[in-house]
This record gives sequence, C-alpha cells and structure tokens, in this order.
Amino acid sequence: MTVKKVIAENSRNVSIEIEGRFDFSLHQQFREAYSSCNDSGTQFSLELSKATYMDSSALGMILLLKDHAEKVGGDVLINRPSEGVNKILEIAQFHRLMTIKV
Amino acid sequence: MTNLTGKHNTKLALVVDDSAMQCKVLSVLLKEEGYRVFSANDGARGVKMYIKYKPDLVLMDINMPIMNGYEAARKIKSLSTGTSLCPLIFITSMDTDQAFIESIEAGGDGILVRPFSPEVFKAKIKSIQRISDLYQQVKTLQQEQQQDAELAEKLMSDVIESRNYALDKIGIVKKAAELFSGDIQLSALCPNGDVNILLGDFTGHGLRSSIGAIPLAETFRVMTKKGFTLLEVIGQVNQQLYDLLPPDLFLGAAFVTISSHDESAYIFNAGLPDVYVFSKQGDIKNQIESCHPPMGVLPYLLPDTKLTILPIKITDRVILISDGIVEARNEQGEMYEFERFEQAAKLGVISGSVSNTVLNSVNDFCMGMPQEDDISLIDIPCDGWEQTFVVSNTTDNIAEEHLNDSDDEQNSAWRWRLALTGPRLSSVNPIPMAMSQINEFEGNAEHWQSLYTILTELFVNALDHGVLALSSDLKSSHEGFAEYYKEREVRLKTLDSGFVEIRLSSHPFPQGGRIKICIQDSGQGFDLKAHYRKRAEKSDAIMLSGRGIELVEQLCESLAFKDNGTLVEASYVWTT
Repeated sequence: MTVKKVIAENSRNVSIEIEGRFDFSLHQQFREAYSSCNDSGTQFSLELSKATYMDSSALGMILLLKDHAEKVGGDVLINRPSEGVNKILEIAQFHRLMTIKV
Repeated sequence: MTNLTGKHNTKLALVVDDSAMQCKVLSVLLKEEGYRVFSANDGARGVKMYIKYKPDLVLMDINMPIMNGYEAARKIKSLSTGTSLCPLIFITSMDTDQAFIESIEAGGDGILVRPFSPEVFKAKIKSIQRISDLYQQVKTLQQEQQQDAELAEKLMSDVIESRNYALDKIGIVKKAAELFSGDIQLSALCPNGDVNILLGDFTGHGLRSSIGAIPLAETFRVMTKKGFTLLEVIGQVNQQLYDLLPPDLFLGAAFVTISSHDESAYIFNAGLPDVYVFSKQGDIKNQIESCHPPMGVLPYLLPDTKLTILPIKITDRVILISDGIVEARNEQGEMYEFERFEQAAKLGVISGSVSNTVLNSVNDFCMGMPQEDDISLIDIPCDGWEQTFVVSNTTDNIAEEHLNDSDDEQNSAWRWRLALTGPRLSSVNPIPMAMSQINEFEGNAEHWQSLYTILTELFVNALDHGVLALSSDLKSSHEGFAEYYKEREVRLKTLDSGFVEIRLSSHPFPQGGRIKICIQDSGQGFDLKAHYRKRAEKSDAIMLSGRGIELVEQLCESLAFKDNGTLVEASYVWTT
C-alpha cells in the first residue's frame, strides 16, 4: 500500500499513484500528496492501475481531492483504474462527476 | 467524578527479595515516598502476596530461591491484565545486557542496577508511577467512552430500527463491523398501503459514519407517511445529506417501493451493488444497477434521474445488499463475490429463508476471519402489502340521512381548490398538500389513508389519461408496461399546456362527515361506455391496469365520471 506523488516541472500537473489497497489507512498520506499543491489550474491525475481494491472511504477521499482541485481552479482525472476498482467507481457512478480514462 | 490519579489513597508497594536486609532498605526508602510496604523473601511468596494485597508497585529481585524473579514477574503480569497496570521494577546487581533484556521480556517495566543512591531510586519510582497514573487515566477514559458509545448505540438503534414497519414480514440481516454500523435499514408505510424500504451504506463505519442516520430516518419516515412519491423522498434525502455531511461522507443507498395494488416495484439504486428481483423458483428476474452517485455527493439529483418501474408478481422477492457481503474475505484473501451470493439467495428463496441462508453461506466462506465491513441484506416479499381498507356499510344510513345537507357546495364547512397547469404538473405533487389541508381542518386519523388513495388514483388518472393522453391499453403487457412509463416521462418533460384542477369540500354531520372530490382535467376525455365494456371483458388475471379505479370505487360512497370523462366526482364518507 503506497501513495506516490510526481509533480511535473511546470508544477501544474500532479500525478498521484496508488498501489495495493486504497482504503482509509491511506487517508493521511493521500491528503498530504495534494494539500500543498495550490497553484491555480493544477491538473491532478490519479493513477489507479496498480490499485487492487478501493473502499467507500477512498471514494470520499477522491471527493475531497476534487473539492481541493476545484478550489484552485483545476481538475481531477482518474487514470486507468484496474478492473476491480473501476467496478466500484461504476457503482458509485463517479464518471458522472469527473473524467475517468479507462 | 472519577479519581484519575488515586493520589488521596496511600499506595501499596510489594518488595520481593531473599535478603531481609535489602527488603528493609527498600522499605524505608518507599515509606519516605509515602508508600505502605509489604515484603516477601522468595518469588512464590511474592506472587501470593501480590494476589492478597493488589499492590500499586512491585520491586523484584532476580536471583531468589523457590521461584526466581523472572518467573514471579511473569505470573504477576499474567494476573494483572485487568484495569490497573501494576508497574514492576527489577532490582539487581547483574549489570549485563542479558539481565536487562530478560527483565523486560519477563514483563518488567524497568530495571535498577545496584549500587544506586537513594535519590536515583526515588526518581525511578516517581517516573514509573507517572507512567502508571497515565495508564490508569487512559484506561478510565476508554471505559467511559465505551459506556457512552454503548448507550448512544442503544438509543440510536431504538430510534431507527424499532420504528421500522412490518419487521415481521421483511427479512433483515445486519451485522456491524463495529459498535456503530454505517449501514442503515428503514421501512415505512405509505398512506395508500404501499411500503417504502431503504438500505443505506454510509462511508466507512463506526460513530463517524452513523451521524447521518437519525436525520435520514426522520426524513424517510415523515415524507413516506405524508404521501410524497419515492422520487421526492430521494431528492430530499440527497439534499439533506449534502447539506449535513462533510464532503467525504455520503450514503450509498437503494430505495424500493412495493405497491401491491399496482403490482409494481419502484426501484432506485444510488451506489449500492445491484438490487435483485427473484422469482418464486429462485431465478433472477431483474437486476437493477446503480444509476446515480451516492446520496449527499451532489447538491441536487442529476436531471435525468428516474426510478426503475417493474411489474411484479406477488410471489416475487426483492433483495437488497450492501457491499460488505460481496466483499467479505476469507483467510486466503478471496472475496465472497456475487456468484456465491446469487447461489445462496436462490437456495434461500426456494427454502423460504433468504437472510439465514445467505448469512450462513457468508459465515461458512469467511471461516471466522474478522469482519471488515458492515454486512446487510433486506429481503422483501412482494405480497401481503394490500391495505385492509374499512369499507363501512353500517355508515350508509347515517350518511343517507344527511345526504341533502351536502348537495349544495355552499353548505360546506370548508372548500379547498388547487389547479396545476403546464410544467407545474410534472414538478409539483398536489396530494401531500391536499392531505395536509385535510389533516389541519379535520384532525389526524387512520382512515384518511383511504382518502389519500382516492385522491392519488384520481389525480394520476386525470394526469396520465387526460392531460398526457396515455392509453392504459399499453399497460396490458409486460413490455408495454415499461413502454408506458417511458412514454409518460417523455410527455411530462415536454408538457407546456393543460391543467388538472382539484376541488375538495367538506360536509360534516354529527357522527362524521362527507368529503366531496372533484377532479377536472384538460384532456380529450374518453368513451365511458366502451371503457366499462372493455374492462368487463378482460380476465382479472392479467390486468395490469384499471385496478386503481376499481379500488377507488370500493372506497367511495359514489364515483361518477362526467363531461365525457374529463370530470370525475367522488364522495367519501367517514364516521367517528
């Protein structure tokens, strides 16, 4: 279970990658990964191809990220969710709220 | 107030040392620190004295006859697993790493190596006592918190679950992962005898996830009781949770209305696993997947939000589950998954005990692995929701006597009138308004649910067949049934003209009264004679429509269509 953060040179593209189970135990780490990225128009891309599982707390954490992104005039993109994770995103109908690139 | 430090009591210390001289020295020092002191000269006696006096502190030599210090320490620590931590310090002249490590492993909380000055000894005692006090404080707070939580949980489940409707008919499984469940199960009776059911799953579990439960239960019950439609209840629940909860907290929920007289189920799934409809044989007839983000995520429902309306047989069962079931894991980390659930549910439907069969199957699969998430299931039978309306023939005479009183609208105790036009017809439900007026004027009473049914049926009739010009013939087949509701939605959306007017007047007589209902619509009307003829020809078995009017006829004193079917007049009589 890890959270990796990569910030592009222009600092407007922040990529956060989750490996393993994406659940409440990542709460603190996940928040830390984006809370200091306050440049206006920052694009957050959440890489979920290596996430094996996601629970409803993780969905809540994504909503918090979305709130943060909207506050700085940016956006959130979910990138390549694994099959299991995508199923959970579908049940929660998150594609109605943000872009999900399968 | 609980005393957290225990300072006002004299503390007890136990000194265990085979040297009487050493015991004496340590005792004196401890007494100077305000302790009462007992001593023992070997490990075995030390353990006995510990059991007898329950001291607040133990000082232990290592090398002793009969039972050495390590063994005695282990025994004492195994006895002191209760509420208080009794710190144990080894006193030794063995200044080796080995002695230090073994002391801690035997359960010692510290070690003092001789020789030491009285000041160092007293400082050590103080520091260890500080830790012990802190431990005691944490322990006490934890106990208080646990007690408060248990009390809160009891109140909460009393408020929420004990007020559910028809618990004897609806099968409910609820297995919380923690004291507070993030899952919630609600059922409530609509004024017309339909039943509304909700299975919800708040984000996470524990206390944090159950704070939304009470307002949710209130909204769901009150609105259902007042006769709001399921979609209106859902809209309000969504808005309320959006306003109340922090952004990362929301409710995955499935809502179901079972309407027996309509033989339909109205289903809405926002963020839960598929809702299932099983036939009597245990075959899956329908699966309704999530079509909307969970409640409380968005400020308003998405504009294209609609319910799934399905024709049902009375032998069908609707089953709702939370993800805790399909995601339950066994020791190998495998999940229970939908396939196992569907098989267990099928067996359960056939054997007549869905909740037990599924729960046993999940338990067998997990084989005692600790439960990670709340597990819930609701099993709803589709029969037994017919309302027992009181059609009172005995009141006819009284009503008859006062027949003439009510002939004239001018003689009414009150009159109420509402006309909805154009787009308002699709956005406003006038029935709860009418009912709330009646409740205000005439007081609250059980029998108004009959009037509610009359008003609802006649209003829907005027809107669907009058203003929207939908033919009820469509509903005669199962395919047409779905088609009907699809078409209804399309026409409602584009509705820009037309009206439905509702007029009510009340004509009380000494032991009761009569409410006259007139509903007029702007439609083309219909051929009344042909309509009645057609209905007479149809066999009862496959009639998916027309039941509404039949029901209204039973409940009314009189019912008459006029003006080519665009005006309906009904009168409803009640006695006290």
